[in-house]
Amino acid sequence: MPALVAPTARSARSASSQPAFSYSSAGRHQQRRYKGKTVEEARSRYRTGPFSWKAGVLFVLAGCGLMWYFESEKKRMQRQRIAEASKGVGKPKVGGYFNLVDHEDRPFSSANLKGRYSLVYFGFTHCPDICPEELDKMAQMFDIVEAQAPGAVTPVFITCDPARDDPKVLKSYLAEFHSKFIGLTGTYDEIKNVCKAYRVYFSTPKDVKPGQDYLVDHSIYFYLMDPEGDFVEALGRQHSPQQAASVILEHVKDSNK
Amino acid sequence: MGVFGLFSSQDDKRKEEVRTGARAPDRSERRQCWDARDNFYRCLDKHDVIDSQTGNGKKTADKHCAQEDKAFEDNCATAWVTYFKKYRVAEYQKKKTIERLQKEGANKVGMQAGPGGSTVR
Repeated sequence: MPALVAPTARSARSASSQPAFSYSSAGRHQQRRYKGKTVEEARSRYRTGPFSWKAGVLFVLAGCGLMWYFESEKKRMQRQRIAEASKGVGKPKVGGYFNLVDHEDRPFSSANLKGRYSLVYFGFTHCPDICPEELDKMAQMFDIVEAQAPGAVTPVFITCDPARDDPKVLKSYLAEFHSKFIGLTGTYDEIKNVCKAYRVYFSTPKDVKPGQDYLVDHSIYFYLMDPEGDFVEALGRQHSPQQAASVILEHVKDSNK
Repeated sequence: MGVFGLFSSQDDKRKEEVRTGARAPDRSERRQCWDARDNFYRCLDKHDVIDSQTGNGKKTADKHCAQEDKAFEDNCATAWVTYFKKYRVAEYQKKKTIERLQKEGANKVGMQAGPGGSTVR
């Protein structure tokens, strides 16, 4: 490339030495100006190569622009990925169809929960310490939610110990926590399937001899389910009743929009 | 006496049912049980006993906290008593483990700060 440019520049330089003799006529004058321009151009081109300061600025600007664009695009993609992971494909499949009986000994299926949010808790009436505490907490959060969005949420207690928790037992047990709590029970297999659908671990022995006492080990979460019966969020012991209630209310408000 | 006897026997029957696990305790019965448990725990604390079911801990508990233990067993379902006694041990171990991890965690943070400081130099 320099080998090609060099002769042009040399001829331009020799051309620039000529005009000293030829500025009498206009035609020549014009020619000289024309030539002079070419010379300048040629010189600058020789000095800087194909890059002018304009090209440089343009180059840097375009570079910065592209960088910014790619960075923002990358961030956008990341946000999108997180959003999709927490809603669409990555959503855990919790909950599902069930057919049990409530604390009044009436049939109660998952269809009864449709159309409203539900707060589902698994436990058993012989629970020594955690469930009673959690049920008191559930009553508090339910009251907070009811105060701001009456009738938006159905509170449900499903027993993990169907052998001992019949509707009557559930009724008197739950009445001590909240009059609106719905207690659900069923056969051992029905309960086992519900627990499985809600990913609840429990260790109820299947065949218990009469009079034999036992405790049930089980998962302790409140499950917030949406009006379609799909899992929304699990609320744990780390949430205070106020925190849990505000989480529920946010979801309820989201769905009203 | 007859009426009183009837009432107390009904009360005893209910207590017995709660103890054997035939009936789930109600709110006041739970409260009674927890109070009796806390009383027993306090006695164990006083005598530095964590595990009241085995070894020296059991010996000390039997010697000094027999009365509290009796009240505990009278007011709670048998399964609960066992659960709470084990829970005390598990809770203690959990506390110890967290303390140990925190200590180790503090060391690790200290070690991480070392090379960072040297590169700044």
